[in-house]
Amino acid sequence: MRAVIKKELKNYFLSPIGYVFIGLFLIMFSIFFYTDVFSYKSTNFEYIFYSGATILTFITPILTMRTIAEERKNGTEQLILTSPLSITKLIIGKFIAATLILVITEVCTYLYFAILMYFGKPHISTALVTQLGFLLLGMSYISFGIFASSITENQIVAGIITIGFFILNWFLPQFGSSFANISLINLFAKFPRGQIDIADTVTFLTFILMCLSLTIILMQRRKMVK
Amino acid sequence: MIEVKNVTKKYGSFVAVNDISFTINDGEVVGFLGPNGAGKSTTMNMLTGYIEQTEGNIIVNGYDTIKKPNKAKGQMGYMPEGVPLYNDLTVKEFVTYMAELHKIDRKQKKDRVQAVLKEVGLESMQNKLIKNLSRGQKQRVSLAGTIVFDPKIVILDEPTVGLDPKQITEIRSLIKNLGKKHTVILSSHILSEVSQICDRVIIINKGKIVAIDTPENLESKVSTNNSIYVTVEDTDNKVDSMKIENVSSITLLKANEDGTKQYEIKANEGINLNKLIFSEFAKQNITILEMKKPETTLEDAFMEIIKEGDDK
Repeated sequence: MRAVIKKELKNYFLSPIGYVFIGLFLIMFSIFFYTDVFSYKSTNFEYIFYSGATILTFITPILTMRTIAEERKNGTEQLILTSPLSITKLIIGKFIAATLILVITEVCTYLYFAILMYFGKPHISTALVTQLGFLLLGMSYISFGIFASSITENQIVAGIITIGFFILNWFLPQFGSSFANISLINLFAKFPRGQIDIADTVTFLTFILMCLSLTIILMQRRKMVK
Repeated sequence: MIEVKNVTKKYGSFVAVNDISFTINDGEVVGFLGPNGAGKSTTMNMLTGYIEQTEGNIIVNGYDTIKKPNKAKGQMGYMPEGVPLYNDLTVKEFVTYMAELHKIDRKQKKDRVQAVLKEVGLESMQNKLIKNLSRGQKQRVSLAGTIVFDPKIVILDEPTVGLDPKQITEIRSLIKNLGKKHTVILSSHILSEVSQICDRVIIINKGKIVAIDTPENLESKVSTNNSIYVTVEDTDNKVDSMKIENVSSITLLKANEDGTKQYEIKANEGINLNKLIFSEFAKQNITILEMKKPETTLEDAFMEIIKEGDDK
C-alpha cells in the first residue's frame, strides 16, 4: 500500500494537479478571508470554513476524477490488478494519498490563523475542531470522488458526477428534515461552532466507509464481467 | 507449472473461451497463436488473474488463481498488450514502482532495478520521462517492469506489435534470453516469431484449442502432399501438354519475363518426383533450371488448422 501512496503523491506533485488543488483553494480562501475580516471586521477563523466547504465542493474532483478512470483508460489498471496488491489496499492507498493533499492544504490555512492572531484572539481549540470537521467533510468528498472515478473511464464524466452529487447535498435539507441529517454539508455545520457531534462524526465515517467499500466491490465485480 | 483445467469464459450468452485445458511445464517457452478475437488475450488475462473465469480452475505453481489470487499473481510477471505505462514517471521510477508492487525486499530493490535496467539496455535512459521514449524503448521499459521481481513465469501479450524490424529483433533476443531462466508464455500474430522462439505452440480458434504441439510437428503435419516446384526453359510449351504416369497434376504457377516458367507438379504418394521429372523432362529436351520441394511453414500449418476448425 505504501508503494501506491508514494506513487500517487508523486503523481500529484509531478503533474500540476496537487499545486492546482492547493493553489485554487488558497486563492479562494484568501478572497473569503479578505471579505470576512475587512468587510465584517470579524476575527473569526472558523466561519471562513463554511465558505471553504463551498470551495471544496467544486475542486475535490481535481484530486479524485483521474484516480481510477485514468488507470482504466490507459490500461495501467492491468499492471496493478495483476500484481499481488489487493484491490482494497489499492483503493485505500489512493484515498490516503488524496487525503494527505487535503491535510497539506489545511495546514496552509494556519497562515490565516497567524494573521488573525496579530489582530485579535482567535480560539485555537475551535479552530482545531473546525479543521477536524473540514477534514471529515473533505474525506467524505474524496471517497465519493474515487467512487465516481471507478464507475466510468471518462475523467470528465467522473468529475461532473462528483460535483453533481455535492450540489445535490446542498439542496437535500429542502426535501425534509430527515434528509437534512444526511446532507454532508449540514453535518459539517456544527464543527465551526466548536462542537464535535458524535452522530455527525459517525455519519461522516460511515459515508466514507460506504463509498470505499462500494468502489472495492465494483472493481471486484468487474473482474467477473470484464 | 501452470495447469489450466476446463476453463470457460462467458460474457452473457457469448462464449469467449470454451472449455480449454492445457499444462505448461517449468522452463518452457510457449506461444499462443490464433486469429483476432480467438480468445488469446482473454486466456492470458485469466492466467494472470486480471479477469476471472466463469468455470474451471487455473493453478499456477500450486496456487489457484481464484482461491489464492495474490499468491498466484506473485508467481507471474505480465506485460499487457499495448504496453500501458505511467507517462509522467521516469523509467527508473516506474520500474521501482513495479518492484514495490511486487513486494521486493527493500534492501535488494535498488540493485535489482539497476540490474534489470541493464538487462534490457535502458541503463543510460533511466532518468528520462517515459512519455519521451520511442515505442521500442517503452516496450523495453514494460519488459523491465515485468521481470524486475524475478518472476518464475513471464507472460507477454503481443510483445512485438507496433515495432520496427530492428526493435523486433532486439525484443526477440531479450525474450530468448528470458527463456533461459523463466517459463515464458507469449502471444503473437507473427508466426515466424513463434516458430523461432517457442518450444511449443498452442493454437486457439473461436475460443477452443485446435492444436498443441511443437512448431516442427505442426509444420510437418501439413507437408504431406507429394509435390514439387520446377522452373524450366520451355519455349515450345511442351510441359503443358505432357502426360506422365503417376503424376496427378501439372499447374503453371508463373511465366517469368525471361521466358522461363514455374510449375507445381503433384504426384501420387510414394513416387520419387525428383527422379521422375528429371528423366521425363530430359527425354523431351526441356531444360530444368530449378527444382525444389515446397517449404511448409508454420503459417501454412496455422491456416490449415484454422480452416479445418472453421469447416467443422
